[in-house]
Amino acid sequence: MTIRRDQTAGLVLDAQLHLLDRQVLDRDGVPVSTVDDVEVGGIRPGEPVDPAAPPPVITDLLVGTEIATRIFGGRPPASRRMPISWRLVSDVGTVVRLGVAGDSLDAGWVERWVSEHIIARIPGGRHDPE
Amino acid sequence: MILSDLIGAQVADAEGTHVGTVVDVRFVIDGNPGQLLADARLAGLLVSPHGRSSTWGYERSGATGPWPIAQWLRWLHRGLFLVHWEDVSMVDVGRVALRAGYERHDAALGPRTSDG
Repeated sequence: MTIRRDQTAGLVLDAQLHLLDRQVLDRDGVPVSTVDDVEVGGIRPGEPVDPAAPPPVITDLLVGTEIATRIFGGRPPASRRMPISWRLVSDVGTVVRLGVAGDSLDAGWVERWVSEHIIARIPGGRHDPE
Repeated sequence: MILSDLIGAQVADAEGTHVGTVVDVRFVIDGNPGQLLADARLAGLLVSPHGRSSTWGYERSGATGPWPIAQWLRWLHRGLFLVHWEDVSMVDVGRVALRAGYERHDAALGPRTSDG
């Protein structure tokens, strides 16, 4: 079978290479989480694909709880997923940058909880290194 | 549908013949402008006739080192091709069907304009 060459305009992202496991930073450069999976809208499992329909698009980046199931299989319940809407993404490079402050996202609750309840109890954990 | 349901899916042509495994999903950011970044549309699926997963992308890039790993992964994913979304007839968890007369496209990545 003949292999054809593509000429694609726009930024090409291969999900495994360019999205999964990338660190997510908020608009101030503060780490929020890492990309553990991606929600793709517009695919109906088991139903024929309508060639006239618009192509599926990334709707959310899923962070926080997906890494274990990517390794060991299965999936966490939908209620445990922490989505970050694609509309909040401002750039995809070596890291994924958001256009909003991390404090406004639920995705960072684990980091906030750890920071407030564990790191803060460590001597020196409440201020920057001197 | 989440990406984990697509990656690793077995791909069959219109006659039901197994042609490979989905090892990655290609998106292109050229859609309708959003609040910050345009939509990332699903452009196609990367199908490997021999390998079952691809996380480093040697077979899609010009990377050559470390030489033994690059050579092994290129051999493992020999015949890797991109099938456009328009050539996909059905997607289910762990299973993808292609349309009759689907075309295989070169999976090579071009130079990136971003820093990734």
